[in-house]
Amino acid sequence: MPAFDCAIVGAGPAGMSAAIELAKRGARIAVLDRGRRAGGQIYRAVTDSPLPDTQVLGSDYTEGAALVAAFEQADATHFTQADVWHVGDDSRILFSRQGETHELHCREIVLCPGAMERPMPIPGWTLPGVMTAGSAQVMLKSDATVAEGAIFAGSGPLLYLIVAQYLRLGVPVAALVDTTPRSNYFDAAPMLPRALRRLPLLKKGLSLLREIRNAGVPFFRGASALQVLGDEHAIGLRFIAGGTSHEIGARTIFLHHGVQPNLNMTRAMDLEHQWNPEQLCWQVKSDAFGQTSVPHVSVAGDGAGIVGADGARAAGRLTALNILHRLGRLPRTDRDNAAAADLGALAAMAPFRAFIDRLYRPTKALRLPNVPTTLVCRCEEQSLAQLRAGFDQGARDPNALKMLTRCGMGPCQGRQCGHVLTELLSDWRGEPAEAVGYYRLRSPQRLLTLDELSRFHAVSAEAAE
Amino acid sequence: MNADVLIIGGGIQGCATAYHLARQGASVVVLEKDYIARHASGVNAGGVRLLGRDMAEVPLSKASMEMWQTLSDDLGQDTGFRRQSMINIALDEADMETLRQRKAMMRCEGYTHERIISRDELREHLPHVNPDCVGGVTSDLDGYAIPYMATNAFRLAAERHGAQIVAGEEVLNLRRVGDSWLAQGTTTRFEADTVVNCAGAWADRIALMIGDNVPLSHAAPMLMITARMPHFAKPVVGAVSRQLSFKQFENGTVLIGGGAKGFADRANNRTRLDYSKLANAARTAVEFFPIMRRSAINRMWAGLEAYMPDNLPVIGPAVNATRAFHAFGFSAHGFQMGPVVGQVMADLVLNGQSSFVLDAFRIDRYDRKVL
Repeated sequence: MPAFDCAIVGAGPAGMSAAIELAKRGARIAVLDRGRRAGGQIYRAVTDSPLPDTQVLGSDYTEGAALVAAFEQADATHFTQADVWHVGDDSRILFSRQGETHELHCREIVLCPGAMERPMPIPGWTLPGVMTAGSAQVMLKSDATVAEGAIFAGSGPLLYLIVAQYLRLGVPVAALVDTTPRSNYFDAAPMLPRALRRLPLLKKGLSLLREIRNAGVPFFRGASALQVLGDEHAIGLRFIAGGTSHEIGARTIFLHHGVQPNLNMTRAMDLEHQWNPEQLCWQVKSDAFGQTSVPHVSVAGDGAGIVGADGARAAGRLTALNILHRLGRLPRTDRDNAAAADLGALAAMAPFRAFIDRLYRPTKALRLPNVPTTLVCRCEEQSLAQLRAGFDQGARDPNALKMLTRCGMGPCQGRQCGHVLTELLSDWRGEPAEAVGYYRLRSPQRLLTLDELSRFHAVSAEAAE
Repeated sequence: MNADVLIIGGGIQGCATAYHLARQGASVVVLEKDYIARHASGVNAGGVRLLGRDMAEVPLSKASMEMWQTLSDDLGQDTGFRRQSMINIALDEADMETLRQRKAMMRCEGYTHERIISRDELREHLPHVNPDCVGGVTSDLDGYAIPYMATNAFRLAAERHGAQIVAGEEVLNLRRVGDSWLAQGTTTRFEADTVVNCAGAWADRIALMIGDNVPLSHAAPMLMITARMPHFAKPVVGAVSRQLSFKQFENGTVLIGGGAKGFADRANNRTRLDYSKLANAARTAVEFFPIMRRSAINRMWAGLEAYMPDNLPVIGPAVNATRAFHAFGFSAHGFQMGPVVGQVMADLVLNGQSSFVLDAFRIDRYDRKVL
């Protein structure tokens, strides 16, 4: 059966850039993405926005339109609304599309699973009305809907961006509760001089904060001890800031304190991972070209460690160059010459990224639950106390704890609780995260009906074209 | 580290053996290369089944089934056991004939625990079954347990009686020196009077170190489980002539098995799935229970399991060494036998004999007597 040279999973900035580069040099490629249009999370609906004026979303967003346009013109077989639920190191990819299962073969695989928001397991975080800043962005970009009078709590550029976007649209915001601890400013200060080389980015960030302050939104800094109020639904947020306890009423609370790689696909493939102590998350082990411990599987973009959209574009192109070399379409010296610019750009971005990572490093008090009844695993409703009881019964390994308590067994397959569990076990065992490890994950990576699975088809590269 | 008995393998057979030995005062060490119930004992379908057993296994399986009924109380720890009965569905008259023949054979041996049921009774127990199905056979004592919980229950009970469970310790070398067995683990050396091989899919390697060759193979039976759905089936379900097996747990999730095999990568301690075969399993499940068409699969997996050519386990003493015993090769139906096998092994180790006839399970039953 004719196979593709390369299949790219995910059409965000990394996947689109990789596809453009590969197509340019004649490789036969397939791009699989869940969306109706390419763009990924960051450029979601950038070419067909429901908003009358996308300028309110900022130039970082609108600039994505050109990339999406270039991708759509590239010679790639783009499977839209393709929900990939299994990627095997035997070069087989299984996906659902229009209620049926398809199997596709390819020589090389590029995974671009992107990032997801780090959960903030504070008391009440699972109440209806509590969402993430990312979901506020999805609502805005996909459906042009907003939540009036919401509280935004946490820290990091994405949080400030969505608040600014709300303000530009004239949507009232109840408060911005910033949890960045004062100590982070001191910790990050030594890294500032090198970060200053990316002055425009720094200025952009500062102007966001200025925009929010000038709008007169209640702005609390150094907040801690956050607690969502309410029994059936969120009705407000309690926290301590400036030495006093505050309570603010709101039916919608958006939480955010940074993003982490979406691990489900790379973990399910059993690729080697390592703990990133700066970003406090697992990331795939990969070389400068994104090549992983399984040579024909590469990973690009935030899914390989948080690099942001610009970094993801560069990483996607680098991955493509290496794959072209592996496919015999590009001699090594040509690959290296073509790669020099992007490698240099990534190196130049690194100090700024390190500064941001340190400045907005989420505190342990917000990363890990500290009230016994707080849920860690939402799907199977496992609380901190239940996990601790399982640990005390001898389940010291994430998988043993999963088998004993069912944490991580639900439909999200540990996307929400995986990192939290690694850190909790690391604390309880008094051992580093590396020694603790992570869940052993299984396909499917999304719920799949028996009917969908039973309609099983093979995709031939020729037929697809 | 010294002990009276060294048990290799921390699955349900090893942990149950440790429990019964420790309870009777023996000092016991269990060596487990990963962690308790990592492979077949922890990831199997959880069926606790007497129905349809091979004749040779029926006495052991019946005794084990009695033990399951009170096991959680006896161990002081929940095994997740629920008695729900089990039904094997007959799709047509040929299946019914198979059942009638088996019934005659069972009656000859004096067994009465399997009961043939009519089309109407089948429908009474399983209202959502495909109306084409003509009947079935049931066993009332059967049910299911939660594999990891049950194995861990044995482990905790064994530990309470003083057994030591050492996880993360693989046996690299094992030899008989004088009156002792010396085992070299990954980090530690162990010495014991007696060794018990409960190493599952790795048991042929341990048997070899003991001195016994055995034609053991391994495979990766696959399973899938759905998200929670409304309760529609109380009994554990199988089929007489088709690859179907499923059960709905109390939380509403439905586990679908049936014996389709994935790829067993024993050298790398892992399995890979064969999705086209799982697609067939999905088709079969929907054929028997059309209500499952829309149910959502949440996870799919496979475990590494050991098989003997006749699908019967090895249970008994080593033939080429003294003070060594085997319990492995359960061929994907050993979970239910765990409780009684623990007792049998303890009897063999402590008294040199068991009240059960174990001839069918001898390790040397495949040795050629004549070339």
